[in-house]
Amino acid sequence: MANYHSVIEKNVSLMIVLTLVAVSFGGLAEIVPLFWQKATTEPMATLRPYTALEMAGRDIYIREGCHVCHTQMVRPLRAETERFGPYSVAGEDVWEHPFLWGSKRTGPDLDRVGLRPITEQWHREHLRDPRQVVPESNMPAYPWLAENTVDWSHMERTLKVFKNQFGVPYSDQDIDDQMNKVRGEWADATEEDAVVAYLLSLGQARREER
Amino acid sequence: MSQFWSIYIIAIVVLNLVGCAILLLVNLKMTPEEARNETTGHSFDGIQERNQPLPRWWLFLFVGTLIFSVVYLVLYPGLGRFGGLLNWSSVTQWEEEVALVEKRTEPLFEQFAKVPVDELHQYPEARDVGGRLFANNCAICHGSDARGAKGYPNLTDDDWLYGGSADAILTSITQGRNGMMPPMAAAIGGTDEAVHDMALYVQSLSRPDMTSDPQVAAAVERAKPKFAACAACHGQDATGNQALGAPNLTDGIWLHGARVEDIETTIRQGRNSHMPKHEGVLSDERLHVLAAYVYGLSRSDEE
Repeated sequence: MANYHSVIEKNVSLMIVLTLVAVSFGGLAEIVPLFWQKATTEPMATLRPYTALEMAGRDIYIREGCHVCHTQMVRPLRAETERFGPYSVAGEDVWEHPFLWGSKRTGPDLDRVGLRPITEQWHREHLRDPRQVVPESNMPAYPWLAENTVDWSHMERTLKVFKNQFGVPYSDQDIDDQMNKVRGEWADATEEDAVVAYLLSLGQARREER
Repeated sequence: MSQFWSIYIIAIVVLNLVGCAILLLVNLKMTPEEARNETTGHSFDGIQERNQPLPRWWLFLFVGTLIFSVVYLVLYPGLGRFGGLLNWSSVTQWEEEVALVEKRTEPLFEQFAKVPVDELHQYPEARDVGGRLFANNCAICHGSDARGAKGYPNLTDDDWLYGGSADAILTSITQGRNGMMPPMAAAIGGTDEAVHDMALYVQSLSRPDMTSDPQVAAAVERAKPKFAACAACHGQDATGNQALGAPNLTDGIWLHGARVEDIETTIRQGRNSHMPKHEGVLSDERLHVLAAYVYGLSRSDEE
């Protein structure tokens, strides 16, 4: 056999192309089929879209970087399901854009925090000063959340983007209803109200399995 | 997974393995001419590149990875819909793990369930189990040392809002509790002075020495008759009422703060405390062990 490999070795461009081809096999086998699997593309039957208040809370959750220390991904390991609740499945996150699975647990996983018997009052006190309720906590305090009111200026657009671009089944009526609440009862909602509403919504799709 | 995607994945995986094997074999062989020549023919500055076969150890590692892949794909999922001979999946592994632990712990919980709550706390094993349950379910509010926080009762001081009997503790955990003190400022006169007087009076109930200050003594005298409004829940002698969860005001234990300012806030705004119910969150057997653990927290001296 002649030294065919010398052709590749002496031609960097060809080598780059062939390397990319070789690397792509893994993705073609492991990732591409997921785009067409029911388990990953169909929402769970019990899933419901976020309310405007929860959506605002989610945006603040991202802004404050909560996902840097908190995961939202319970793995199928007994120690985790015992502590947090049912393990996460893909069908729960079909409407998550972007998903907030996280990759580092400095704090506990939050994917099931809405299922835990924790009062709203506790969440508020804990956000304002974590060490007030958990002396050994190393979580930073977020006292400004209780002082700032939610910036609603982008909410209508956000909901429409989730509806039209991401296929979240809000009807036009749903969006009108949500925006009426935004102009009404939620007009003066604090960022803390929004974050707590979001936290309490986490895991609700799995309430029956708890 | 549909037939198409199954075949698609199998095809890629098999082609990859076969392709790697062929690549390896092709590069192993040398033409007789190449084998005769010790060099590749490259020469620069009089330095020649030798033509060496692949090192054996490297070759065996390569072959080893190919064999490993084949064995892996036979035993574990990887080839489309074929689940592997071991039928392994992360979910079945989790189910087996849960079932195994349940099989090991259920007899233990059954055994604990036969022991009344007020005796169970003396079993070291039950205390260990209870401690883990407490850490995971209760410590978030009551603290990892069970000494509570402002607004969250200390469970180690043998001072009980709803009673410290085994039954009362089990009910508190299982059904939850709703503690509600209404705003009382209006009922005692409504003025800032009246609220301040009452706060001093309530504080003096557990600190009689305070009245040696004539100003405090005067305030206490002014507030005393108005305490009737408070007595409906806290009792004439201010020792509280466990049926309502009204705290004893004479014992120097303060759920919402001991400072005069704290007490004034309590009088002005009232307090709403909510202990969530844990029925359905934990099994009955676990609630039983947990109640025993909490029961034992303030009784460690008995043993």
